Amino acid sequence: MYLIDFQMTMTTKASEGSSQAVSAGFNPQYAGKRAECDGGAHIAGTKYAGRQFFAGTLTGNYRDYGDYPWRWYLMTKLTQMPRGYVHETVWCDEGSLLLEDE
Amino acid sequence: MSDPLHTQLCEKLGIEYPIVAFTHCKDVAVAVINAGGFAVLGEAMHAPDEIAADINWIRDRVNGKPFGIDLVLPASTPEEKTLEELMAMIPQEQRDYTDMILKKYDVPKPKEELEIASWGGLDQKRALDQLEVLFDEQVPVIASGLGSPAFMLKRAHQLGIQVWGLVGKPRQAIKQIEAGTDVIIAQGFDAAGHTGNIGTFSIVPQVVDAARGTGIPILAAGGVTTGRHLAAALALGADGVWTGSLWLASRESDVNLPMKEKLIESSATDTEYSDCISGYTMRTTRCPWHVEWASPEAPDVLKPPLQMLLSNEYITGANDYRRKDLMTEAAGQGIDYVTEMKPVRQILSDMVEQTLDVFDRFSDDDDD
Repeated sequence: MYLIDFQMTMTTKASEGSSQAVSAGFNPQYAGKRAECDGGAHIAGTKYAGRQFFAGTLTGNYRDYGDYPWRWYLMTKLTQMPRGYVHETVWCDEGSLLLEDE
Repeated sequence: MSDPLHTQLCEKLGIEYPIVAFTHCKDVAVAVINAGGFAVLGEAMHAPDEIAADINWIRDRVNGKPFGIDLVLPASTPEEKTLEELMAMIPQEQRDYTDMILKKYDVPKPKEELEIASWGGLDQKRALDQLEVLFDEQVPVIASGLGSPAFMLKRAHQLGIQVWGLVGKPRQAIKQIEAGTDVIIAQGFDAAGHTGNIGTFSIVPQVVDAARGTGIPILAAGGVTTGRHLAAALALGADGVWTGSLWLASRESDVNLPMKEKLIESSATDTEYSDCISGYTMRTTRCPWHVEWASPEAPDVLKPPLQMLLSNEYITGANDYRRKDLMTEAAGQGIDYVTEMKPVRQILSDMVEQTLDVFDRFSDDDDD
């Protein structure tokens, strides 16, 4: 069930062996846009996942992972975030973003 | 009346019953598939080579029938930190409180020393590495248990792979429908693990309405453990059900025996929707860890992954020594109806029979 020791070791190996390319860029159309992010992630070391909700402003900076590509935008000036979230920014999957004027 | 159980999901997959089992156990998956249902194996925690091995293990046992693999795609990530940085962020108050719980309940030390020197997190690269295996193996269905699968749809469809997405809000469903997701799983608050805040009875018809006219099948998820639930889901407009807790105490399940007993003894009120285990809110069966962190004296729950680092020794020690009084497991509010340890085939046939009984009852009423 909770294989945290195994999982942590395995995770690092998987990432080290990755052949997926990462590139960065800037989309001026998203810069300064207010957005919400229906976020979340796998909970490392477990079989579980958790949802997280963020609201803030997109900087326009993005990262593309892999060949498809899988695009992620940087959100800052967070106005809503999970309890205890201590970071000032969060990266959000483009498919999980909702622009305020949409 | 035509067969109410033969929905467009059955047509899309070539299956007998519109019952989908989400499970982390390969034996359960194979048993459900061979009994006429469909199964999706949760592989989020596995390395790419393990996923490939599991896919081939299933393929060898289902005689060409389709199956799915579920991954958890991250949808948001903070800036990465090393394990040392994370450990340094845990306040002394929370450390002391954890030590108090471990002592109070005589929680055994985990059997093996925890190797927490190589924290890597589950990042985008790792998810892509997992996805590559699913593309290479051309699994019939890729399910995204969290996170939008929109970015991979084109490649998956080129390979003839269906992509399913699990949502907790209608707006997530609308985005996925617009993107071209093949099946949407509308998961209600009743569900095990991570859920949205909307109840199953409310979210399912909303997502059905959002998908109207698109031909995209909708699955109802969250608290589904009987044929009456399946009949209700079909009445709400869904094309089938996504079930998880239903299979945890089955004969084939690899959940350990004390935990199966605990699940069978549990009711909906024995589940907790709490962030105390991982920092993320999720529904699990109540254990002393929940009780202590809900106490007025408890310090604040920490954000992920810090809370998981705190709970890890408790969880691992409880599982290593099969301490039923301490253990916890993800379980939905439908757990009331998981009352005995039955074979998968019987669970499925009972559900089908109950569903048909419901429809027969309405049919009989029409005849009066």
